[in-house]
Amino acid sequence: MLEDKKDNIFLSRWVNGELSPEEFQEFQSHPEYEYYTKIIAATNTLDLVDYDVDEELTKLKSKRKTTPAKNKPVIKLLPYIAVAASIAILLGVFLFNANDSFSTSYGEQLAVTLPDGSEMILNAKSEASFDKSNWKNNRTVSLHGEAYFKVKKGSKFTVSTTNGNVSVLGTQFNVKSHASFFEAVCYEGKVSVKNKQENKILTAGKGFRAIANKPSELWAFITEKPSWIDNTSSFRSVPIRYVFKELEKQYNISIDTTNIDNNIIYTGTFPNNDINVALKTVFSTLDIQYQLLDNGKTVVLEE
Amino acid sequence: MSDDKNSTCNERAFDHFFKSHAKLLRSYLYYKFGDLDQAEDIVQDTFIKLWNNCSKVPLDKAKSYVYTIATNLGISNARHQQVKFKYQNYITQRKNDITNESPEFVILEKEYMEKLKSAIADLPERQREVFLLSRIDKKTYKEIAELSSVSVKAIEKLMHKALVTLRKKIGNI
Repeated sequence: MLEDKKDNIFLSRWVNGELSPEEFQEFQSHPEYEYYTKIIAATNTLDLVDYDVDEELTKLKSKRKTTPAKNKPVIKLLPYIAVAASIAILLGVFLFNANDSFSTSYGEQLAVTLPDGSEMILNAKSEASFDKSNWKNNRTVSLHGEAYFKVKKGSKFTVSTTNGNVSVLGTQFNVKSHASFFEAVCYEGKVSVKNKQENKILTAGKGFRAIANKPSELWAFITEKPSWIDNTSSFRSVPIRYVFKELEKQYNISIDTTNIDNNIIYTGTFPNNDINVALKTVFSTLDIQYQLLDNGKTVVLEE
Repeated sequence: MSDDKNSTCNERAFDHFFKSHAKLLRSYLYYKFGDLDQAEDIVQDTFIKLWNNCSKVPLDKAKSYVYTIATNLGISNARHQQVKFKYQNYITQRKNDITNESPEFVILEKEYMEKLKSAIADLPERQREVFLLSRIDKKTYKEIAELSSVSVKAIEKLMHKALVTLRKKIGNI
């Protein structure tokens, strides 16, 4: 193609405008000239996606500070939680940093990074603990309450509760265990659920629930993460007493249910950040009258 | 030592050094190893290394230090996986000012650009590196030669070769 140009840096010199006028004129009449011109013209319109140097520097600085503390569990509050975070949470973080148990109070959430980088987000009024020193060999979290897990791939990961165990190899799932209520929901991968009576495998988009003495049930869903992460509690055919429990945990109130039947089945949602909307949503759909007493700490229900 | 403004331990000197070198280092690594995300990670890791060793690396040696470290990190990563140069979405085309072209022309032009980009992706590593540093990052042959400590002549040869290779790949369109 350019065999007559013996010079092995000819094109480099051309691109740089270093050819002599004679050389340039000769090249222009060469049949190859237009093809090379086109390559250069087209390449000149190319660009590489932007690089935000300032942002990268900020990222670098945050890494620089955290590198020495590699093996400590990092406790971080998600941005929207940080807004709602009370001094109590901060206190909790400092108090619980030393050992390996974490707990949340009424209406709080807490994001915890486990030693292997797996994440656990605790919902309100929940407790979780694990053995940090033996984490490599034994990835087990004891849970009382509700938490959402994003597990890093690795050895078996188990969430142990009084109602049963949920174990996985690496996936995202939610576990809720209170008194006689046990629920596990799988968002990604596969989890195995085991309680006294049963052993079930859940694939992504499947949930398992066992309430008191009733037979357990399985269902399918399409959401990608539990709604409480975004500050909404949601229920699917749940006896109303468990909905009241959740209201109590989110808002630090107590609900007096003596006048109503607390076995009504409820399907619906309520927000975790606005008590008035939450109470209205739940009770108006059930056609229940309610009254707030004791500075809004007690809710009395009447049919 | 750490208060010296010519030391990489000096925060302001370090920041300035990062800002003036990170972008080109990222391009260099991308053209060389073909993976932009990996290139950005390596830039981060390299500068963390520089910071951790700042007392041993004076500012005037820092540039060749980061290029050496980054290249080594890239090589040890690339050994595990032979990455094909990923140009899609990363190398973009600047918007053309002329929009009143005929649709056929626009389509042909688009086809040509795709062909060009895949020909660039198929270039041997060194040729691609030189060609893109020169054309996209607008670096002179001398600047490119300094990055990989070779002669300007070697860079000129690579540039010439890259153009010949591209010309053969693209054919007569």
